[in-house]
Amino acid sequence: MDAFAQQLVNGLTLGSLYALIAVGYTVVYGIVQLINFAHGEVFMIGAFGALSTWLVLFKGQTGLWVLPIMIIGAIIASVVTAVLMERIAYRPLRNAPRLAPLITAIGISVFLQEFVRLFYGRVPFLDFPDAKQKVPFPQIDVVTGKAFEIGNVTIQRSAVFTVGALIMCAAALWYFVNRTKMGRGMQAVSQDPDTARLMGINVDRVIVVAFAIGAALAAIAGVAQGLQVTNINFKMGFLAGLKAFTAAVLGGIGNVWGAVVGGVTLGIVEAMAVQFIPGTFGGSPWKDVWAFALLIIVLVFRPQGLLGAKVVDRA
Amino acid sequence: MSTLEATNVGHQVGHKVVLEASNVTMRFGGLTAVNDVSMQVHDGEIVGLIGPNGAGKTTFFNCLTGMYIPTEGTVKLSGEVLPPKPLKVVRAGMARTFQNIRLFGNMTALENVMVGRYCRTSSMALTSVLRGPKFKREEAATRERAQELLDYVGLGKSAELLARNMPYGDQRRLEIARALATDPQLLLLDEPTAGMNPKETEECMHLIFKIRDSGLAVVVIEHDMRFIFQLCDRVLCLVRGALLIEGTPGEVQSDPRVIEAYIGGSDDDDDEEGTK
Amino acid sequence: MSKLTLSDDVRATHGSKAPMLAMVGGALVLLSGLLSWSADSTVLDDVSVRFYPIGAQIYIMVMGVTAIVLGVLLRKRPAWMSPGRGLRILGWATIAFVLLLALFAIGYETGALANLNEGLPVALVGGVLVLLAGMVTPEVTLDVRRWPKLSSSLEIVVIVVMMAFLLFAVAHALSLESWTFIAFLLMLVGVAGAVLGTGIGGYLGFVGANNRRPLLLAAFLVAFLFPFTQDGSDANMSIATQIIIFAATALGLNIVVGLAGLLDLGYIAFLGTGAYVGAMMSQSAFATIGWKPPFLVVMLIGSLVAATFGLIIGSPTLRVSGDYLAIVTLGFGEIFRLAMFNLDGNNGPKLTNGPNGIPGIPDLNFFGFDFGESHSIAGFELGRFANYYLLLLLLIAFVILVFSRLNDSRLGRGWVAIREDERAAEAMGVNVFGLKLLAFAVGAALAGIAGTIKAHVDTSVSPDQYIFLESAFLLAAVVLGGMGTVVGVLVGASILKLLPEKLREVNDYRLLAFGLLLVIMMRFRPEGLVASKRRQLEFHEDDEELVALTQQEHLLEAQAEAK
Repeated sequence: MDAFAQQLVNGLTLGSLYALIAVGYTVVYGIVQLINFAHGEVFMIGAFGALSTWLVLFKGQTGLWVLPIMIIGAIIASVVTAVLMERIAYRPLRNAPRLAPLITAIGISVFLQEFVRLFYGRVPFLDFPDAKQKVPFPQIDVVTGKAFEIGNVTIQRSAVFTVGALIMCAAALWYFVNRTKMGRGMQAVSQDPDTARLMGINVDRVIVVAFAIGAALAAIAGVAQGLQVTNINFKMGFLAGLKAFTAAVLGGIGNVWGAVVGGVTLGIVEAMAVQFIPGTFGGSPWKDVWAFALLIIVLVFRPQGLLGAKVVDRA
Repeated sequence: MSTLEATNVGHQVGHKVVLEASNVTMRFGGLTAVNDVSMQVHDGEIVGLIGPNGAGKTTFFNCLTGMYIPTEGTVKLSGEVLPPKPLKVVRAGMARTFQNIRLFGNMTALENVMVGRYCRTSSMALTSVLRGPKFKREEAATRERAQELLDYVGLGKSAELLARNMPYGDQRRLEIARALATDPQLLLLDEPTAGMNPKETEECMHLIFKIRDSGLAVVVIEHDMRFIFQLCDRVLCLVRGALLIEGTPGEVQSDPRVIEAYIGGSDDDDDEEGTK
Repeated sequence: MSKLTLSDDVRATHGSKAPMLAMVGGALVLLSGLLSWSADSTVLDDVSVRFYPIGAQIYIMVMGVTAIVLGVLLRKRPAWMSPGRGLRILGWATIAFVLLLALFAIGYETGALANLNEGLPVALVGGVLVLLAGMVTPEVTLDVRRWPKLSSSLEIVVIVVMMAFLLFAVAHALSLESWTFIAFLLMLVGVAGAVLGTGIGGYLGFVGANNRRPLLLAAFLVAFLFPFTQDGSDANMSIATQIIIFAATALGLNIVVGLAGLLDLGYIAFLGTGAYVGAMMSQSAFATIGWKPPFLVVMLIGSLVAATFGLIIGSPTLRVSGDYLAIVTLGFGEIFRLAMFNLDGNNGPKLTNGPNGIPGIPDLNFFGFDFGESHSIAGFELGRFANYYLLLLLLIAFVILVFSRLNDSRLGRGWVAIREDERAAEAMGVNVFGLKLLAFAVGAALAGIAGTIKAHVDTSVSPDQYIFLESAFLLAAVVLGGMGTVVGVLVGASILKLLPEKLREVNDYRLLAFGLLLVIMMRFRPEGLVASKRRQLEFHEDDEELVALTQQEHLLEAQAEAK
């Protein structure tokens, strides 16, 4: 029972992280039917943005008050990356055959990883660490440090931060989508872009906003990941991005709440699989295999996802 | 093709039942798009399917061609129940054209028709790589048959043109040639004259007569009443998914309910073709 | 590229100046080769001396001469040529050439831009003039009916000259190192791009299509003779074997991507399957399977196992297509890698030795011919890699045969139909699912065969050779070279494998450049360097001029074929 509760907590934490990233896939897909394969790199760049902010402004500080500013730094880095990516690479391909944006996305993904790996340690005038290996991420009072113990279940402080971040982001997103003009514009564009354009909605702007929202949430996920794992690296976006994509599909791609549900479900399934799949094919060496198997099964057998609000024409 | 007023008078319909749809019903959720429609088509017969927009013509059509599996009822081709898959339906001997032309635009006219021969040829990977005499024979036969069909529909000189570069009327005829290449017993034409000028329409009618005379059964969906009443041996009128009347063009034309359906039925139009 | 050209008004008023601009620009570029480029005499084999052109300086002079020739052609334009387009390509290439050499080869390598002498700035001015000449030239419609009509023996002479040129270019390129190599490559791309871009490319394609047999024969003869030019040295032959293995696999992928129009992001797994089968059934002391059949049997088993995996990975195409299918294949590819990493006896059965892989795979031995030994044939010494090279040449000949014959058959037409309109194809009786599966199975089988040989060439197999990035590289070879063409993939594979070998100094940047390359290709030339005409049309649906041109070319080819 304790093992179950412990894995539930682990899964919830992991799932919250997936959910935060998954929103980015789903928002963009809902509006332009594009799988932004490079979204995992936006998450990675968020983590490095937070680290840079800390190194430049607060090096050596561990007070809780630096955290919000680090998050803002992360969001700026991610949003700028995502918006540039949309503007330079994706927008010219909006009417191209499907293959083109996907291959472009792979190119961007490799480019961004390598860019961070090669140049992070070489920024002029700033004494940044070399990013070719793992880079330690700052530990902050209150959100890291001694874990809580409830019975035999251990809850990391960073886990509480991650789940809390997801809840706050979900609430903010709900408000944005349902209560603001831009949010309603987004809904309109996702229903029918041509009509929305005729109604005077600036579709290009809506698309940029979609990329920006996804990037902001991914940036927060990047900070959460850094706090949890205590270090970050240029490759962290690949697997996290793929799993978050699985989460987005699991929940029903194009559906924002689906991303949240899918993320949490995937996290819990993964945690339970590590604990409860017996024999030589169980345990952590095989956990990514099971995650990919789940990805394939979901894509093939339930491409509309669990909530399935939006019909996916590609499947 | 000299007379402008082509007619259907004096033509003898065959006795073999080619297509038999019995009590076909198609429901989407709570909506009944096609309700208990039955239809028989004989060899050498042209049957027209008319009805106001949203009457369920295209849905019925899709039930025949295996795109949809009817909720109730069966469709038989020459006595065999049709398998509910477009691929198998074609093999069984039913070919179709599309309302909005769907040619392979970047292929030549000849290649388009050769694709139609796909299901009647059998070279697989190994044969294709080894290029033995059987492969060469089959490839030559495919090419020859495709050219014959192009000549048949009057496009013999356009064989090497890219389909997308052809005039609209020619594209329609190319689609018919491509469908004929599958050696069908029954040809389904979905609005074959949409977008055509009167001269092209006239030529199209002659082509359909020619196909009919070769022994094929033909089913036509059309909006152009003049065209359909001149062309068909028998006409079915669908309204709100159900069969309103079936009869000779003369009978259908003079039935007051048909006229009423067309005039009265336009206010609750839901253009199903558009959402296909 | 349309945004990068000038308005029609500007062209109408200044078009007449284009030939003059081109010739002056070309002359400046030509002159720059005689000037001093760098104050430091250690870079680019000493380009500091005036009036003594070597290496990169000779290359830029070739570019200058090309520009002058194109300028002359502008004056008296054959109806089937567009020298303006060639000048634009040449202009961009010259500018790229100058900037890259000035900033990196001289500026970065010597540590100071101050080392830059007058030569390259002069060339830059020349390059800009050439580009301007291209831009102000009025756009013309090519009339391919005016192609020169050559007798068939003359056409074959054209092919032989092309092939001889190719062999010379490859042999020369391989003898170069670092920045001089880059300079040569840029020159080659610029000049070849400019010459072919004028419309000569279309013409050569036409000539080639008329003489397919002699062309293939000449190409294989050139490839066959290559090891005899290497004096028994294995350095270049080692690269060449890697290129062929890579190209054979990429050609397999091209069946899936280029012909069937499906995206596979886990393709390296099929090569890996073949390699692991080859390793597990080899004579290696670490082989995990006791059965050690002759190599031909291993090859067959490797291809069958890979084909089976191909069928499994292809089976979701029944329900999934497009982006989702791409991600499904990526998932399968990762599962393959992780499984090979894990199956070490502790996690699952002992098949692959986990992360250590299977080392110590012995060389092949066909009827007493040991591939590991040097052999002397007609006075020429052929080393280990040369032996494998000749074997791999047979493999790639087979792969090309399979690829092009499938493409030109009933099945090939079916694939085109599926790419054009899947539902219409199905309604016309094309077995869509079957054809997609076939593409996966055939492609996988070919990659599997390549894998079994690769195991012996590399002497070891380990999971880290089969990561996602390798699949991306294969895809890049197809995309860069040209979807659906054989020559394209050969070119793409050679560039992608040769560059990192020749550029050890900047090896660290190769992935960065690779990512950028994918983005740029998709933006400006999605159909690849050597494009299949049909694919080109698919990527440029609304380019009416291209449609008209393709139509005319096709009519001419059909005529020639009928003769």
